[in-house]
Amino acid sequence: MSGQRPAAPVATAGPVERRRGWTGWFDPRGRRLGGWAFALNRLTGLGLVAYLYLHLGVLFLLSQGPDGWDAFVDVALSPPILVMDVVLIFGMLLHGLNGIRVGLVGYGMVATRQGALFVGLMIIGAIVLLAATLRVFA
Amino acid sequence: MAEPQTTPTRPVRFRVHRRKAGDSGGRYDSFEVQLDEQRTVLDGLVAIRKEQDPSLTFRHSCFHASCGTCGMRVNGADVLACVTKVADLGPTVTVEPLANIPLVSDLVVDMGAFYGPFSRAGRPLLRESELVPGSQRAEGIDVLTRYEDCIECGICVSACPLTGSDPRYAGPAALCAAGRVIEEPRDADRLAALRFADGSHGVWRCHVAYECTGACPSNADPGAHIMRLRRAATADRFRRWFGVGRAAR
Amino acid sequence: MSVQPTPTDEPGGGAGAFLGQVISGAALLVLLTLHMIAQHFVLPEGLRDYASVIEWVANPIVVVLELSFLAFVTWHALLGLRAIVFDYGFSPSTERWITRTFVVIGVVTVVYGTWLMYAIVSAA
Ligand code: SF4
Ligand code: SF4
Ligand code: FES
Repeated sequence: MSGQRPAAPVATAGPVERRRGWTGWFDPRGRRLGGWAFALNRLTGLGLVAYLYLHLGVLFLLSQGPDGWDAFVDVALSPPILVMDVVLIFGMLLHGLNGIRVGLVGYGMVATRQGALFVGLMIIGAIVLLAATLRVFA
Repeated sequence: MAEPQTTPTRPVRFRVHRRKAGDSGGRYDSFEVQLDEQRTVLDGLVAIRKEQDPSLTFRHSCFHASCGTCGMRVNGADVLACVTKVADLGPTVTVEPLANIPLVSDLVVDMGAFYGPFSRAGRPLLRESELVPGSQRAEGIDVLTRYEDCIECGICVSACPLTGSDPRYAGPAALCAAGRVIEEPRDADRLAALRFADGSHGVWRCHVAYECTGACPSNADPGAHIMRLRRAATADRFRRWFGVGRAAR
Repeated sequence: MSVQPTPTDEPGGGAGAFLGQVISGAALLVLLTLHMIAQHFVLPEGLRDYASVIEWVANPIVVVLELSFLAFVTWHALLGLRAIVFDYGFSPSTERWITRTFVVIGVVTVVYGTWLMYAIVSAA
C-alpha cells in the first residue's frame, strides 16, 4: 500500500482542466460501435484527403505526354500497389457507407437504431470489398 | 444466534488517480483491498478511505444508481462506481475521475462546470408524460409522475470524444436536456432551448459517435435527443425560410 | 484555472456545413462509383494507358462528370478537414480564418484540376 498522506489537504488552486484531447478520438478503451464508426470515419477521411492530393499530383504526368504516364501505369499494376488499392477501396467503402448512416441519423432518422444501421451497412461494405478485391487481383 | 454467512473474499488491486488542488500533476496510488465477488468499485473506494487513506476524495450518495454522483472512469470506461462490480473487472482496477470536466481533487470533478450549460437548456425535472407501466398505486394516489431519466451524472460528457477536444461544445447532457424540452416542454421555453442547442458548438458539433448513449447509465439516450434536435432545428429553419413545416412552438 | 464551457455561437451555425457535407457526400456516392467503374473496373488491366485516357476524355460527358467529381470531392474533403479542426473549439475569429484558408486551398485545387483536364483534352 502506498499513498498515506495527511488528511484534509488545503486547497490552493481552483479546478484543473482535464480534457482528453484528440487522442480521445482514437482511445479504444470502453469504446462502442458508434465510437468505432466515428474514429474510423475520421481516420479514413484523413487518409482519403491525403490520397486525393497524391492522386491529383500523379495525374500531372498526363499533361507531360505518354512516356511518364505509361511508365507509371506499369508500376501501379505491380502487386504491392494493388494491395494499397484494396486498402483504398476499404477506406472509400467504410467512409461512404458510414456517411449514409451519419446523414440519416444526423437528421434524426433512425436515431435509436444507429448501431444496427452501421452493422447492416458494413455487411454490404464487406461484400463489395470482397468482390472488388477479387476484381483487382483478377 | 447463527453466525452471519460469509462470502469468500479475494484481494483486488486498486490504482487510484490522485491529485489535490495545487499539485502540479496527477499520480496513481495503489491499494489492495479484500472484497467479495458482490462488491462494487464504490465499496472498494469506501474501504480504502476507511482503512487505508482518509484523504482519498470521491463523491457518492445513494449506492444504487439513482443519485448520479459516483460517475468515474473505471479501466477506461465511464461508469457509476456503485453498480460496477469488481468481479467483472480484471485483477487490477484503475479508477480515474470523469474526463472533460475540470478536476477538483482525486476523483471529484467540478459539477458546477457541468451544470453551467446544462441549466441553460432550461429543462423541468418532473416528467409528466409517463406512468410507470404496471405500477401499483397506493390508495388516494391517482397519478404517478416520474423524474427525468437523466440523473446528471456527467458520464456522457466524459465518454463523448467531442467534448474531449472542444471546450466550446455544449456536450451531450445539456443537449439531451434541451431535447427533452422540445419533446415535452412543460411550460418551459421551447424556442429558447432550440436556440441554445442549434449552433456549430451545439448539436451540429456532434459526430454521431453515440458514446454518450452507450455510456449513459440511465437510458436517457442523449445521442437520439441530439439527432431529434437537429431535425427540429432544420424543420424550424425551413418554416422560417419557406413558411412550410411544423413550427418550433 | 476554472473553465466554464461556453456552448453555442451564432444560432444555426454549423447547420449549413452539415447540410453541405450531406449533399456533397450524396453526390460523391454516385460520382465516385461512376469514376471507379469507368476508370478502373470496366478495364481488363484496371488502369488506362495514355492513349486510352486521351480517347476517353474526348467524350464531353466524361469531362463534365470528372470535373464535377473533382469539385464535389474537394468540397467534401476540405469541409471535413475543417470540421476536424473546428473540433478543437477555436475562437470565432480564428474559425473565420480557418474557413478562409480552406476556401483558398479548395479554389487552388479545383483550378489546378481544371487546368490539368484542359491540358489533357487539348492533347487529344
Ligand atoms: S453522439 Fe455526439 S454527443 Fe454523443 S458522444 Fe457522440 S459526438 Fe458526443
Ligand atoms: S444523459 Fe445519461 S450519462 Fe448524461 S448526465 Fe444524464 S444520466 Fe448521466
Ligand atoms: S452512489 Fe448514487 S449513483 Fe452511484
